[in-house]
Amino acid sequence: MNWLMKQLRKEEWSPYAAGVLLGIVGILTVVLAHALLGSSGGFENLAAYIGKAINPANTYFNYVMPAGITYPVVLLVGIFFGGMLGALSSGTFKFRTMDSEQWKTAFGKQTWKRWLVLFVGGMIVEYAAGIAGGCTSGLAISGGMLLAPAAFLFIAGMFASGIITALVVYGKKF
Amino acid sequence: MTYIIALILGVAFGFSLNKAGLTKYHKVVNQFRLTDMAVLKFMMTALVVTMLGVYPLRALGIITFPTVPATYIVGNLAGGLLFGVGMALTGT
Repeated sequence: MNWLMKQLRKEEWSPYAAGVLLGIVGILTVVLAHALLGSSGGFENLAAYIGKAINPANTYFNYVMPAGITYPVVLLVGIFFGGMLGALSSGTFKFRTMDSEQWKTAFGKQTWKRWLVLFVGGMIVEYAAGIAGGCTSGLAISGGMLLAPAAFLFIAGMFASGIITALVVYGKKF
Repeated sequence: MTYIIALILGVAFGFSLNKAGLTKYHKVVNQFRLTDMAVLKFMMTALVVTMLGVYPLRALGIITFPTVPATYIVGNLAGGLLFGVGMALTGT
């Protein structure tokens, strides 16, 4: 019991240990919910409310990602609280406007720069997830565990361009 | 009921992401800088563990699989390529 409490209070687990936990979650998702672990879809279901208000005839928001409090939206809320629970359990929960020391050393300490890149990058990520049919969790992980070819195409693309992007933004510091 | 299951699954998912350190900018970006392999270790472990669970269960006829994400080669690949750019920029 003491051992378990000690593990729960740790800020970071071995990625293998955390991976086993996610693997169990993956099994339960298929068995209990008969669904995938998507998170980007939830954002789209929420964005569809705005999209449909602006353009009611929009095909994407009417047929591909209709508005509604769907399963992925609830999953998204859970992920938020799960992450919070993880931070609270290790005592690292904190409100911050600049989240990374590494960012500060690499790109300077201006908070607006980080926020701007987050905003633009966030749009790129969500748009790309829309094209690919899922994100890291819904397509790469959930699709991968059911051996969907789409997942492995996506992972290959993601790593290829991710490595190149990191190379470009970090330059000599790569 | 589906909502309660989704909420519990989501909490467990978020918890595992946090404990793996994937909620941190440097973890994700350093994967792409190839200086920290945590993201790949975490993802691949999860894949293997789930496969070990769901394939035997399906072989025994206890469960069926949900619809897997559709494969359309150009879209999956192009989306992945664009996704990596955003991911390496934001570290999310």
